[in-house]
Amino acid sequence: MASLTADGRILNVDLHGDVVRAAQGSMVAYTGNVDFKGAGMGGGDGFRAALKRKAAGESLQLMECSGSGRAYLAVDAQYVSVVDLANDTLSVESESVLAVTPGLKLDVKFAGLGGAMAGQGVATTTVTGTGQVALLSDGPMIRLEVVPGQPLVVDPQAFVASSGQLSTSIVSGVSWRSVVGEGSGEAFSMKFDGSGLVCIQPAER
Amino acid sequence: MPFETVNSKVVRAQVTPQRAVLARRGAMLGLTGEVVFRPVQGQGAGVGGRIGAALASESNAMMATTGSGSVLYGFRGLHVTVLDLDGREQLFVEADRLLAHDADLQTSVMFLGSGGLRGAVRGAATGQGLFTTQLSGVGAVALLSHGGAFPLQVSRGESVGVDPQAYVGHTGQLDVDLKAKVGWRDAVGKGSGEAFQLQVTGSGTVYVQASEKKF
Repeated sequence: MASLTADGRILNVDLHGDVVRAAQGSMVAYTGNVDFKGAGMGGGDGFRAALKRKAAGESLQLMECSGSGRAYLAVDAQYVSVVDLANDTLSVESESVLAVTPGLKLDVKFAGLGGAMAGQGVATTTVTGTGQVALLSDGPMIRLEVVPGQPLVVDPQAFVASSGQLSTSIVSGVSWRSVVGEGSGEAFSMKFDGSGLVCIQPAER
Repeated sequence: MPFETVNSKVVRAQVTPQRAVLARRGAMLGLTGEVVFRPVQGQGAGVGGRIGAALASESNAMMATTGSGSVLYGFRGLHVTVLDLDGREQLFVEADRLLAHDADLQTSVMFLGSGGLRGAVRGAATGQGLFTTQLSGVGAVALLSHGGAFPLQVSRGESVGVDPQAYVGHTGQLDVDLKAKVGWRDAVGKGSGEAFQLQVTGSGTVYVQASEKKF
Protein backbone atom coordinates (compact mmCIF):
# COMPACT_ATOMS: atom_id res chain seq x y z
CA MET A 1 0.00 0.00 0.00
CA ALA A 2 1.39 3.37 -1.00
CA SER A 3 2.08 5.74 1.86
CA LEU A 4 2.59 9.49 2.04
CA THR A 5 4.79 11.20 4.62
CA ALA A 6 5.27 14.93 4.89
CA ASP A 7 8.77 16.24 5.58
CA GLY A 8 8.53 20.03 5.82
CA ARG A 9 8.25 21.24 2.25
CA ILE A 10 8.76 17.82 0.71
CA LEU A 11 6.31 14.93 0.39
CA ASN A 12 7.78 11.42 0.43
CA VAL A 13 5.69 8.98 -1.57
CA ASP A 14 6.56 5.32 -1.00
CA LEU A 15 5.20 3.22 -3.82
CA HIS A 16 4.84 -0.54 -3.72
CA GLY A 17 3.54 -1.33 -7.16
CA ASP A 18 0.49 0.90 -6.87
CA VAL A 19 -0.55 4.24 -8.30
CA VAL A 20 -0.59 7.60 -6.53
CA ARG A 21 -2.10 10.58 -8.28
CA ALA A 22 -0.24 13.85 -7.79
CA ALA A 23 -0.20 17.43 -9.04
CA GLN A 24 1.34 17.58 -12.48
CA GLY A 25 5.02 18.48 -12.60
CA SER A 26 5.48 18.29 -8.82
CA MET A 27 8.22 15.61 -8.84
CA VAL A 28 11.58 16.96 -7.69
CA ALA A 29 13.41 13.63 -7.33
CA TYR A 30 12.85 9.89 -7.14
CA THR A 31 14.68 6.64 -6.40
CA GLY A 32 13.77 3.22 -7.71
CA ASN A 33 11.56 2.50 -10.67
CA VAL A 34 8.92 5.17 -10.73
CA ASP A 35 7.01 6.16 -13.82
CA PHE A 36 5.18 9.45 -14.34
CA LYS A 37 2.28 9.65 -16.72
CA GLY A 38 -0.34 12.34 -17.35
CA ALA A 39 -3.61 11.22 -15.79
CA GLY A 40 -5.64 12.52 -18.70
CA MET A 41 -8.63 14.78 -18.79
CA GLY A 42 -10.65 13.21 -16.01
CA GLY A 43 -7.63 12.86 -13.76
CA GLY A 44 -8.57 9.19 -13.44
CA ASP A 45 -12.08 9.88 -12.19
CA GLY A 46 -13.95 9.34 -15.40
CA PHE A 47 -15.58 11.49 -17.98
CA ARG A 48 -18.32 12.89 -15.77
CA ALA A 49 -15.84 14.25 -13.23
CA ALA A 50 -13.86 15.82 -16.06
CA LEU A 51 -16.91 17.59 -17.42
CA LYS A 52 -17.91 18.86 -14.01
CA ARG A 53 -14.43 20.09 -13.37
CA LYS A 54 -14.37 21.89 -16.68
CA ALA A 55 -17.77 23.49 -16.04
CA ALA A 56 -16.76 24.60 -12.58
CA GLY A 57 -13.40 25.92 -13.68
CA GLU A 58 -11.65 23.94 -10.98
CA SER A 59 -8.30 23.33 -12.55
CA LEU A 60 -6.66 20.20 -11.26
CA GLN A 61 -3.95 18.78 -13.48
CA LEU A 62 -2.91 15.38 -12.21
CA MET A 63 -0.30 12.83 -13.10
CA GLU A 64 -0.03 9.19 -12.11
CA CYS A 65 3.06 8.01 -10.25
CA SER A 66 3.38 4.25 -10.51
CA GLY A 67 5.98 1.56 -9.90
CA SER A 68 7.99 0.84 -6.80
CA GLY A 69 10.35 3.19 -5.06
CA ARG A 70 10.19 6.59 -3.46
CA ALA A 71 9.19 9.82 -5.14
CA TYR A 72 9.84 13.26 -3.65
CA LEU A 73 7.18 15.83 -4.51
CA ALA A 74 7.16 19.58 -3.86
CA VAL A 75 5.56 22.71 -5.31
CA ASP A 76 7.09 26.18 -5.03
CA ALA A 77 8.58 25.49 -1.59
CA GLN A 78 5.12 25.32 -0.03
CA TYR A 79 4.59 23.39 3.19
CA VAL A 80 3.18 19.89 2.92
CA SER A 81 0.86 18.13 5.36
CA VAL A 82 -0.85 14.77 5.15
CA VAL A 83 -4.48 14.20 6.17
CA ASP A 84 -5.78 10.65 6.84
CA LEU A 85 -9.31 9.97 5.69
CA ALA A 86 -11.35 7.02 6.95
CA ASN A 87 -14.52 6.82 4.87
CA ASP A 88 -14.80 10.55 5.03
CA THR A 89 -15.06 13.54 2.72
CA LEU A 90 -12.56 16.39 2.60
CA SER A 91 -13.44 19.64 0.87
CA VAL A 92 -10.35 21.36 -0.44
CA GLU A 93 -9.19 24.13 -2.73
CA SER A 94 -8.05 22.45 -5.93
CA GLU A 95 -4.69 24.23 -6.01
CA SER A 96 -3.90 22.86 -2.55
CA VAL A 97 -4.07 19.18 -3.55
CA LEU A 98 -0.59 17.67 -3.92
CA ALA A 99 -1.26 13.92 -3.94
CA VAL A 100 -3.93 11.29 -3.18
CA THR A 101 -3.49 7.57 -2.51
CA PRO A 102 -5.49 4.95 -4.44
CA GLY A 103 -8.94 4.35 -3.01
CA LEU A 104 -9.76 8.04 -2.87
CA LYS A 105 -12.07 9.70 -5.34
CA LEU A 106 -11.81 13.30 -6.43
CA ASP A 107 -14.96 15.14 -7.39
CA VAL A 108 -16.30 18.65 -7.72
CA LYS A 109 -19.02 20.04 -5.50
CA PHE A 110 -20.88 23.18 -6.41
CA ALA A 111 -20.78 25.61 -3.55
CA GLY A 112 -23.30 28.05 -4.94
CA LEU A 113 -23.28 31.78 -4.94
CA GLY A 114 -21.59 32.09 -1.58
CA GLY A 115 -18.34 30.77 -2.93
CA ALA A 116 -18.42 33.13 -5.86
CA MET A 117 -18.93 36.11 -3.58
CA ALA A 118 -16.04 35.11 -1.39
CA GLY A 119 -13.79 34.93 -4.42
CA GLN A 120 -13.40 31.19 -4.17
CA GLY A 121 -15.21 30.27 -7.32
CA VAL A 122 -18.50 28.43 -7.50
CA ALA A 123 -17.06 25.00 -6.77
CA THR A 124 -14.73 23.18 -4.45
CA THR A 125 -12.96 19.89 -4.92
CA THR A 126 -13.95 16.99 -2.69
CA VAL A 127 -11.87 13.96 -1.82
CA THR A 128 -13.90 10.95 -0.67
CA GLY A 129 -12.98 7.51 0.63
CA THR A 130 -10.30 5.93 2.75
CA GLY A 131 -6.64 6.83 2.32
CA GLN A 132 -4.25 9.74 2.57
CA VAL A 133 -4.31 13.20 1.00
CA ALA A 134 -1.28 15.48 0.86
CA LEU A 135 -2.14 19.17 1.01
CA LEU A 136 -0.08 22.24 0.17
CA SER A 137 -0.13 25.40 2.24
CA ASP A 138 1.67 28.69 1.97
CA GLY A 139 3.37 28.51 5.38
CA PRO A 140 2.84 25.79 8.00
CA MET A 141 -0.71 24.40 8.04
CA ILE A 142 -2.93 25.21 11.01
CA ARG A 143 -5.53 22.59 12.00
CA LEU A 144 -8.56 23.97 13.83
CA GLU A 145 -11.10 21.74 15.55
CA VAL A 146 -14.76 22.77 15.28
CA VAL A 147 -17.15 21.62 18.03
CA PRO A 148 -20.95 21.98 18.04
CA GLY A 149 -22.12 25.26 19.48
CA GLN A 150 -18.84 27.01 18.76
CA PRO A 151 -18.80 28.08 15.13
CA LEU A 152 -15.45 28.87 13.53
CA VAL A 153 -14.98 31.82 11.20
CA VAL A 154 -12.04 31.90 8.77
CA ASP A 155 -10.84 34.12 5.96
CA PRO A 156 -11.76 32.51 2.60
CA GLN A 157 -8.32 33.29 1.22
CA ALA A 158 -6.62 31.44 4.08
CA PHE A 159 -8.97 28.44 3.89
CA VAL A 160 -7.34 25.23 2.64
CA ALA A 161 -9.57 22.28 3.52
CA SER A 162 -12.31 21.02 5.82
CA SER A 163 -13.70 17.62 6.78
CA GLY A 164 -16.40 16.23 9.03
CA GLN A 165 -20.04 17.21 9.52
CA LEU A 166 -19.77 20.90 8.84
CA SER A 167 -22.13 23.37 7.28
CA THR A 168 -20.57 26.38 5.62
CA SER A 169 -22.03 29.83 5.33
CA ILE A 170 -20.67 33.16 4.24
CA VAL A 171 -20.59 35.98 6.73
CA SER A 172 -20.62 39.39 5.17
CA GLY A 173 -19.18 42.36 6.98
CA VAL A 174 -19.93 44.79 4.21
CA SER A 175 -20.96 48.20 5.47
CA TRP A 176 -20.82 51.73 4.16
CA ARG A 177 -17.15 51.78 5.22
CA SER A 178 -16.23 49.05 2.70
CA VAL A 179 -18.14 50.90 0.01
CA VAL A 180 -16.13 54.07 0.46
CA GLY A 181 -12.88 52.09 0.62
CA GLU A 182 -12.33 52.36 4.34
CA GLY A 183 -13.14 48.73 5.14
CA SER A 184 -11.11 46.53 7.43
CA GLY A 185 -10.19 44.22 4.57
CA GLU A 186 -12.29 41.42 6.04
CA ALA A 187 -15.50 41.94 4.11
CA PHE A 188 -16.31 38.24 3.64
CA SER A 189 -15.65 35.38 5.99
CA MET A 190 -16.48 31.68 5.98
CA LYS A 191 -18.37 30.33 8.96
CA PHE A 192 -18.27 26.64 9.89
CA ASP A 193 -20.95 25.06 12.10
CA GLY A 194 -21.06 21.50 13.39
CA SER A 195 -18.21 19.20 14.27
CA GLY A 196 -15.10 18.59 12.19
CA LEU A 197 -11.70 19.85 11.18
CA VAL A 198 -10.76 23.01 9.28
CA CYS A 199 -7.27 23.53 7.87
CA ILE A 200 -6.04 27.05 7.15
CA GLN A 201 -2.75 28.55 5.99
CA PRO A 202 -1.00 31.56 7.52
CA ALA A 203 -1.22 33.51 4.26
CA GLU A 204 -3.94 34.93 2.05
CA ARG A 205 -3.98 34.06 -1.62
CA MET B 1 34.09 27.11 10.36
CA PRO B 2 33.75 30.51 8.71
CA PHE B 3 29.98 30.35 8.16
CA GLU B 4 27.51 30.31 10.99
CA THR B 5 23.79 30.09 10.22
CA VAL B 6 21.82 32.90 11.85
CA ASN B 7 18.51 31.54 10.60
CA SER B 8 17.48 29.50 7.59
CA LYS B 9 18.04 32.44 5.25
CA VAL B 10 21.01 34.33 6.68
CA VAL B 11 24.62 33.29 7.35
CA ARG B 12 27.28 35.07 9.33
CA ALA B 13 30.85 34.87 8.04
CA GLN B 14 33.92 35.54 10.17
CA VAL B 15 36.48 37.38 8.11
CA THR B 16 40.11 37.61 9.25
CA PRO B 17 43.15 38.97 7.41
CA GLN B 18 44.15 35.34 6.74
CA ARG B 19 40.70 34.29 5.66
CA ALA B 20 38.84 36.22 3.00
CA VAL B 21 35.38 35.33 1.77
CA LEU B 22 34.01 35.57 -1.75
CA ALA B 23 30.32 36.42 -1.92
CA ARG B 24 27.67 37.25 -4.44
CA ARG B 25 27.83 40.96 -5.15
CA GLY B 26 25.25 42.90 -3.17
CA ALA B 27 24.45 40.05 -0.80
CA MET B 28 25.82 41.79 2.29
CA LEU B 29 23.12 42.51 4.86
CA GLY B 30 25.12 43.91 7.72
CA LEU B 31 28.57 43.84 9.26
CA THR B 32 30.67 44.62 12.30
CA GLY B 33 34.40 45.36 12.33
CA GLU B 34 36.73 46.69 9.67
CA VAL B 35 35.71 45.02 6.46
CA VAL B 36 36.32 46.05 2.86
CA PHE B 37 34.42 44.81 -0.19
CA ARG B 38 36.25 44.61 -3.47
CA PRO B 39 34.56 43.53 -6.70
CA VAL B 40 36.03 40.52 -8.43
CA GLN B 41 35.16 39.49 -11.92
CA GLY B 42 34.31 35.94 -12.70
CA GLN B 43 35.37 33.25 -10.33
CA GLY B 44 38.66 34.76 -9.27
CA ALA B 45 40.74 31.91 -10.60
CA GLY B 46 43.31 33.93 -12.48
CA VAL B 47 43.09 35.41 -15.94
CA GLY B 48 42.39 32.08 -17.58
CA GLY B 49 39.55 31.31 -15.25
CA ARG B 50 38.17 34.74 -15.76
CA ILE B 51 38.11 34.44 -19.53
CA GLY B 52 36.71 30.94 -19.27
CA ALA B 53 33.95 32.05 -16.98
CA ALA B 54 33.06 35.01 -19.14
CA LEU B 55 32.93 32.86 -22.25
CA ALA B 56 30.71 30.40 -20.51
CA SER B 57 28.49 33.12 -19.08
CA GLU B 58 28.76 30.98 -15.96
CA SER B 59 30.15 33.93 -14.07
CA ASN B 60 28.30 35.67 -11.39
CA ALA B 61 29.32 39.07 -10.17
CA MET B 62 31.19 38.28 -6.96
CA MET B 63 32.91 40.43 -4.39
CA ALA B 64 35.80 39.68 -2.09
CA THR B 65 35.33 40.49 1.56
CA THR B 66 38.60 41.24 3.33
CA GLY B 67 39.65 42.72 6.65
CA SER B 68 38.55 41.52 10.04
CA GLY B 69 35.04 41.36 11.36
CA SER B 70 31.81 39.48 10.85
CA VAL B 71 29.49 39.91 7.89
CA LEU B 72 25.88 38.83 7.39
CA TYR B 73 24.93 37.50 3.96
CA GLY B 74 21.51 36.76 2.49
CA PHE B 75 19.83 37.05 -0.88
CA ARG B 76 16.18 37.69 -1.79
CA GLY B 77 14.83 35.68 1.12
CA LEU B 78 16.13 32.44 -0.36
CA HIS B 79 17.12 29.55 1.86
CA VAL B 80 20.80 29.10 2.57
CA THR B 81 22.51 25.73 2.95
CA VAL B 82 26.09 25.60 4.26
CA LEU B 83 28.27 22.75 3.02
CA ASP B 84 31.78 21.92 4.23
CA LEU B 85 34.27 20.64 1.71
CA ASP B 86 37.00 18.49 3.19
CA GLY B 87 39.33 18.62 0.20
CA ARG B 88 38.59 15.06 -0.93
CA GLU B 89 35.37 15.85 -2.74
CA GLN B 90 34.42 18.45 -5.26
CA LEU B 91 31.15 20.32 -5.38
CA PHE B 92 29.41 20.94 -8.67
CA VAL B 93 26.90 23.75 -8.63
CA GLU B 94 25.37 26.45 -10.79
CA ALA B 95 27.20 29.76 -10.38
CA ASP B 96 24.02 31.68 -9.62
CA ARG B 97 23.38 29.44 -6.61
CA LEU B 98 26.58 30.51 -4.86
CA LEU B 99 25.93 32.95 -2.05
CA ALA B 100 29.38 32.90 -0.49
CA HIS B 101 32.41 30.66 -0.15
CA ASP B 102 35.87 30.63 1.34
CA ALA B 103 38.30 32.51 -0.84
CA ASP B 104 40.68 29.55 -0.37
CA LEU B 105 38.46 27.30 -2.44
CA GLN B 106 39.39 26.86 -6.07
CA THR B 107 36.63 27.45 -8.55
CA SER B 108 36.68 26.44 -12.14
CA VAL B 109 34.14 26.25 -14.88
CA MET B 110 33.41 22.86 -16.32
CA PHE B 111 32.07 22.33 -19.79
CA LEU B 112 29.24 19.85 -19.73
CA GLY B 113 29.75 19.25 -23.41
CA SER B 114 32.92 17.33 -22.53
CA GLY B 115 30.55 14.49 -21.75
CA GLY B 116 29.86 14.35 -25.46
CA LEU B 117 26.87 15.66 -27.27
CA ARG B 118 24.56 14.36 -24.56
CA GLY B 119 26.04 16.67 -21.96
CA ALA B 120 25.60 19.64 -24.24
CA VAL B 121 22.02 18.70 -25.01
CA ARG B 122 21.34 18.25 -21.33
CA GLY B 123 22.51 21.75 -20.50
CA ALA B 124 20.56 23.34 -23.32
CA ALA B 125 17.37 21.40 -22.70
CA THR B 126 17.25 22.00 -18.98
CA GLY B 127 18.06 25.66 -19.19
CA GLN B 128 21.07 25.13 -17.01
CA GLY B 129 23.53 26.30 -19.60
CA LEU B 130 26.41 24.30 -20.92
CA PHE B 131 28.67 24.96 -17.97
CA THR B 132 28.70 24.33 -14.26
CA THR B 133 31.00 25.64 -11.60
CA GLN B 134 33.25 23.23 -9.79
CA LEU B 135 34.57 24.00 -6.30
CA SER B 136 37.47 22.13 -4.74
CA GLY B 137 39.74 22.45 -1.73
CA VAL B 138 39.05 22.77 1.97
CA GLY B 139 36.45 25.28 3.10
CA ALA B 140 32.80 26.10 3.38
CA VAL B 141 30.23 27.07 0.77
CA ALA B 142 26.85 28.73 1.27
CA LEU B 143 24.32 27.76 -1.39
CA LEU B 144 21.03 29.42 -2.29
CA SER B 145 17.86 27.47 -2.89
CA HIS B 146 14.13 28.09 -2.97
CA GLY B 147 12.69 26.22 -0.02
CA GLY B 148 15.92 24.68 1.23
CA ALA B 149 18.20 22.09 -0.32
CA PHE B 150 17.81 18.54 0.95
CA PRO B 151 20.51 15.92 0.46
CA LEU B 152 19.77 12.65 -1.30
CA GLN B 153 22.38 9.92 -0.89
CA VAL B 154 23.20 7.97 -4.00
CA SER B 155 25.05 4.68 -3.72
CA ARG B 156 26.50 2.47 -6.40
CA GLY B 157 24.05 0.34 -8.29
CA GLU B 158 21.08 2.59 -7.79
CA SER B 159 20.01 5.68 -9.61
CA VAL B 160 18.14 8.78 -8.56
CA GLY B 161 16.00 10.81 -10.90
CA VAL B 162 15.92 14.57 -10.34
CA ASP B 163 13.83 17.29 -11.92
CA PRO B 164 16.29 19.59 -13.73
CA GLN B 165 14.67 22.69 -12.24
CA ALA B 166 14.92 21.29 -8.72
CA TYR B 167 18.57 20.23 -9.05
CA VAL B 168 20.89 22.37 -6.90
CA GLY B 169 24.27 20.64 -7.02
CA HIS B 170 26.13 17.47 -6.20
CA THR B 171 29.28 16.11 -4.55
CA GLY B 172 31.09 12.83 -4.98
CA GLN B 173 31.66 10.53 -7.92
CA LEU B 174 28.40 11.05 -9.70
CA ASP B 175 27.39 10.94 -13.31
CA VAL B 176 24.56 13.26 -14.22
CA ASP B 177 22.81 12.48 -17.43
CA LEU B 178 19.71 13.87 -19.07
CA LYS B 179 16.96 11.43 -19.79
CA ALA B 180 14.09 12.43 -22.03
CA LYS B 181 10.84 10.58 -21.81
CA VAL B 182 8.86 12.43 -24.39
CA GLY B 183 5.89 10.49 -25.60
CA TRP B 184 2.87 11.29 -27.68
CA ARG B 185 1.12 12.52 -24.54
CA ASP B 186 3.63 15.35 -24.20
CA ALA B 187 3.24 16.21 -27.86
CA VAL B 188 -0.48 16.78 -27.44
CA GLY B 189 0.00 18.69 -24.20
CA LYS B 190 -1.28 15.96 -21.90
CA GLY B 191 2.06 14.96 -20.42
CA SER B 192 2.90 14.45 -16.80
CA GLY B 193 5.14 17.50 -16.77
CA GLU B 194 8.12 15.26 -16.08
CA ALA B 195 9.38 14.77 -19.61
CA PHE B 196 12.98 15.62 -18.77
CA GLN B 197 14.76 14.10 -15.82
CA LEU B 198 18.35 14.10 -14.67
CA GLN B 199 19.52 10.56 -14.04
CA VAL B 200 22.13 10.54 -11.27
CA THR B 201 24.27 7.41 -10.85
CA GLY B 202 27.44 6.56 -8.92
CA SER B 203 28.15 7.31 -5.28
CA GLY B 204 27.77 10.67 -3.65
CA THR B 205 25.16 13.19 -2.60
CA VAL B 206 22.84 15.19 -4.78
CA TYR B 207 21.13 18.31 -3.41
CA VAL B 208 17.54 18.99 -4.42
CA GLN B 209 15.33 21.99 -3.64
CA ALA B 210 11.64 21.82 -2.78
CA SER B 211 10.60 23.92 -5.72
CA GLU B 212 10.93 24.10 -9.47
CA LYS B 213 11.54 27.82 -9.47
CA LYS B 214 14.79 29.23 -10.72
CA PHE B 215 15.56 32.66 -9.51
